[in-house]
Amino acid sequence: MFYRLSGVHHTRYETARQIWPVPTDRRVVYILLALALAAPLYLPDLYLSSYVLPWLVWSAAALSLTLLMGIAGQLHFGFAAVMAIGAYSSIHLARAGVPFELALIGAGVITAVIGTLFGAAALRVKGLYLVMATLAMQYLVDWVIINVPAISGGAQATLNTPEVSFLFMPLSGTGLYYGALLWAVIVTVFVLNIKRTSFGRALVAIRDKDYAAAVIGVNPFKYKLLAFFTASFLGGISGAVLAFCYYQAVTPEQFGFNVSIQLVAMVLVGGLGSVIGAYLGAGFVLLAPMFLTNAVAYLAVWGVLPLSSSLLAHIPLMVYGLLIVGFILFEPLGLAKIYDNIRKYFLVWPFRHTQS
Amino acid sequence: MQPEQQPADATDPAALHPNWVADDHLINLLRHNAREHGDEIAMREREYGIWQEYTWKDYLDRVLCFAAGLDALGVKPEDNILVIGDNRPGLYFGMVGAVALRAVPSPAYPDTTPEEIAGHMEREGIRFALAEDQEQVDKLMGIRANGYDALQQIIYDDPRGLAGKEPAGVVAFNDIVERGRERLRERPGLEDDILGRASVHDIAVLLHSSGTTGAPKGVPLKHGHVLSGVRNAAAAGYFREGEVHMAYLPMAWVGDFIFSIGAALALRFTVNIPERQETALHDLREIAPTLYFSSPRAWSNMLTRIQVGIDESTLFKRMLYELFMPFAVELERRRLDGEQPTALQRFWRGLGEILVYGPIKDQLGLARVERPYTAGEAIGEDVFLYFRALGLNLRQFYGQTENCALACAQDPDTIKLHTVGKPFPGVEIKLDDQGEILIRGDNVFDGYYQNPKSTAETLQDGWLHTGDAGYLEEDGQVVVLGRVSEVVYTAAGERFIPTYIENRLKFSQYIKDVCILGQDRDSLAALVAIDMSAVGHWAEENNIPYTSFADLSQKPAVYELIQGVIEHVNGVLPDGLQIRRFVNLHKEFDPDDGEVTRTRKLRRSVIDAHYAPIIDALYDGSESVDYEAQITYETGESGVLKRHLTVADVPPAAEK
Repeated sequence: MFYRLSGVHHTRYETARQIWPVPTDRRVVYILLALALAAPLYLPDLYLSSYVLPWLVWSAAALSLTLLMGIAGQLHFGFAAVMAIGAYSSIHLARAGVPFELALIGAGVITAVIGTLFGAAALRVKGLYLVMATLAMQYLVDWVIINVPAISGGAQATLNTPEVSFLFMPLSGTGLYYGALLWAVIVTVFVLNIKRTSFGRALVAIRDKDYAAAVIGVNPFKYKLLAFFTASFLGGISGAVLAFCYYQAVTPEQFGFNVSIQLVAMVLVGGLGSVIGAYLGAGFVLLAPMFLTNAVAYLAVWGVLPLSSSLLAHIPLMVYGLLIVGFILFEPLGLAKIYDNIRKYFLVWPFRHTQS
Repeated sequence: MQPEQQPADATDPAALHPNWVADDHLINLLRHNAREHGDEIAMREREYGIWQEYTWKDYLDRVLCFAAGLDALGVKPEDNILVIGDNRPGLYFGMVGAVALRAVPSPAYPDTTPEEIAGHMEREGIRFALAEDQEQVDKLMGIRANGYDALQQIIYDDPRGLAGKEPAGVVAFNDIVERGRERLRERPGLEDDILGRASVHDIAVLLHSSGTTGAPKGVPLKHGHVLSGVRNAAAAGYFREGEVHMAYLPMAWVGDFIFSIGAALALRFTVNIPERQETALHDLREIAPTLYFSSPRAWSNMLTRIQVGIDESTLFKRMLYELFMPFAVELERRRLDGEQPTALQRFWRGLGEILVYGPIKDQLGLARVERPYTAGEAIGEDVFLYFRALGLNLRQFYGQTENCALACAQDPDTIKLHTVGKPFPGVEIKLDDQGEILIRGDNVFDGYYQNPKSTAETLQDGWLHTGDAGYLEEDGQVVVLGRVSEVVYTAAGERFIPTYIENRLKFSQYIKDVCILGQDRDSLAALVAIDMSAVGHWAEENNIPYTSFADLSQKPAVYELIQGVIEHVNGVLPDGLQIRRFVNLHKEFDPDDGEVTRTRKLRRSVIDAHYAPIIDALYDGSESVDYEAQITYETGESGVLKRHLTVADVPPAAEK
């Protein structure tokens, strides 16, 4: 109904292979981008800074992880540690007087190097063993941050982010939001395009079967390391952006094991390897608990749920768990697949499948 | 080689049409387009998945170089050049290039058998042939090996399987173009020389009448005929300048030359050529033309496709369709009756446009079509109304090869279902005493190719005898009933036109072809070829298992289905002309067996001969018949297949 395809023809392969060949999809993207740019004009500050902003940053983080898990097929259960490295490196670099732009890149590089080191060690193993190895990274990094005062400032310390400006604009107020938005857009464009490059195809080949990839001339070790490097780089900067634009003060607990699991949940619920899935997954994992808590609180206030307050506190968690099980049960390919199904429903409207 | 002229004493072609301007010909139009609109797109072809574009400059360049190369090969004015293959830019450039040299392109249908092609070549003294691909080149090589020595050069367009391995006397289109380019560079005056040769009185193309009886007759059309036909139609608002046109119909059909070359040059169409015949529907959607011509059969197939698609669709979409589509059809029926829709109906229709009609048009690639047309035979009322209800201004037109296929067309404001509309400006139509339709105008040809006898029968005092029976309505709209020669009488002396009844039967989606018998018999009977896709789908819906066409056609339930269709048509036929018995044939009528022409018109004598045992069974009261089917394979070999066919009775309407 909304999709009109007649008259769309290509005279060059470049246009035939563009990211969104369907005009309606392009229009949807433009509208979303315009809505995102104008968000400070119509959204109250509370929503902007406590819902939309973290959602964007976590989406960028989920995108970084989906590059590793969805596209390259390497499980990573210590991605919060990767973000922690990025967050702490950027703060220390910025405090040392490095311009913020360079501090971000520096944080990315430091994270990438450390992440790749762990990757290299972890790459001797596959599957569940890789999960164990990355878990080890999570705990190692946590331990190091907590126990090295030079990094964390002490076990219970909170490290405040310094005042910085990005490209000559001070990073504060709505600037924080636009900073997060910019980073989300950069990561999105990067991941969208990486699937179409030889690098992305090599990663997909390794994901599907690493020794089959080796047979066709893709060096699995090199590309697995590159995947860890790239994902850690993006994850590190996402951690830095999270610290500067959202938390503005970091403690080791903010990057604990449970955060790693949440990141994995975002990627899985959203849909492995999908860009829109990262947004939907991050939105679901981040916002669904808040929404459920609010909803249960409202119901309790109206007296619809005559339950003890300790049980009430657990109901959101139960529903949330039920929802995740439900999604995985009914659509194992995640929210992205649900979106895809809806899109296709309208794409072939009023038929069931394409007619030509 | 000049065709016989009418009247016989006119030796100078220019004297025949004193009102034609000598410089007003296709080559000059091409030159004008290249000069004034050189960077606009003249042609697109989908190749390797993307659309390769040719501007008017490219068009002129190819035509010019090809003509120069052809000139060097020794092509003389009035040489006939065989053109055979599916639509390709190379073949169009080649045809126009030949026309520039005053040679005459003579297109043939690509699926024509070697014997027919050999006959065609001998009749027209073909020395040069332009073939699409290796398949056609092989066919022509075979004809040359079988004793047709006059064939000097075969030019091929598609290099696959040929490039670098050409047999003697076979050369690539591109090589000729390069050779021509070389010549043009060496001789600076050659370009103007070549472009200045043509005249409006030259023959632009040698087409062929479909030949329902006997061998096809050559129909030479001059530049002047083609252009006046196109301009008459444009004056009636039938074409606009700069249309986007889809060239997917056979190049040997008169309409393709008129649309894709004549009108395209005169009115600067963008001609779009599908990648292959099989991808035509997909490519149609990519292009979304503004002008679309299709046969009634193709429109009807399209409707079947939509209905099958909707039947398979999900519940909600199907409900929306059921809600809006019958409404639109009813609204359109009332509008044709002269009723104006109310504001509420207009709103409802607008809503349907967003929800149903628009998306369907988009799926079919007809979203931008402003001028959809159909011609060739009668179109079913259901089909016609359906597409008009979708919001397509579908109109019928009427014409023959002999008058560039452009004689009259329905006017958008005064459409009546049973007429083919009014004559174009510049075309006169009258009826003779027997009710035969006569046509006169500048678009009417000057006589058949080397066939003075047929010419004398067809062209009398400048009036073209179409051979169609019909009448004029009071407001000047023309009604076509059928071929004069097809009027037959039953044993009881009842007069009827089989095609008329057949078309009514074919309006059902379940019947693909049907042949009505009954000449000098007591009652009518029918040979039915079911429509495999529609009946197959119906069988699936009704849990009827089947394996093949032959198996499906003999299912008792399918017989009942077809019987229902026939009873419905019997309801509108007079008493003496009821169809009493029928047989479902085990196969479709096939042009390779000679049962229908390439344009799918029945060849009754062939059918009578092929199916004589079945026809006997239809009239001797037996309930089934064993039939030995002669099958001609695509290789030209033949075989025999035994079939057991049921003969069914249709109860008279009164007994129901």
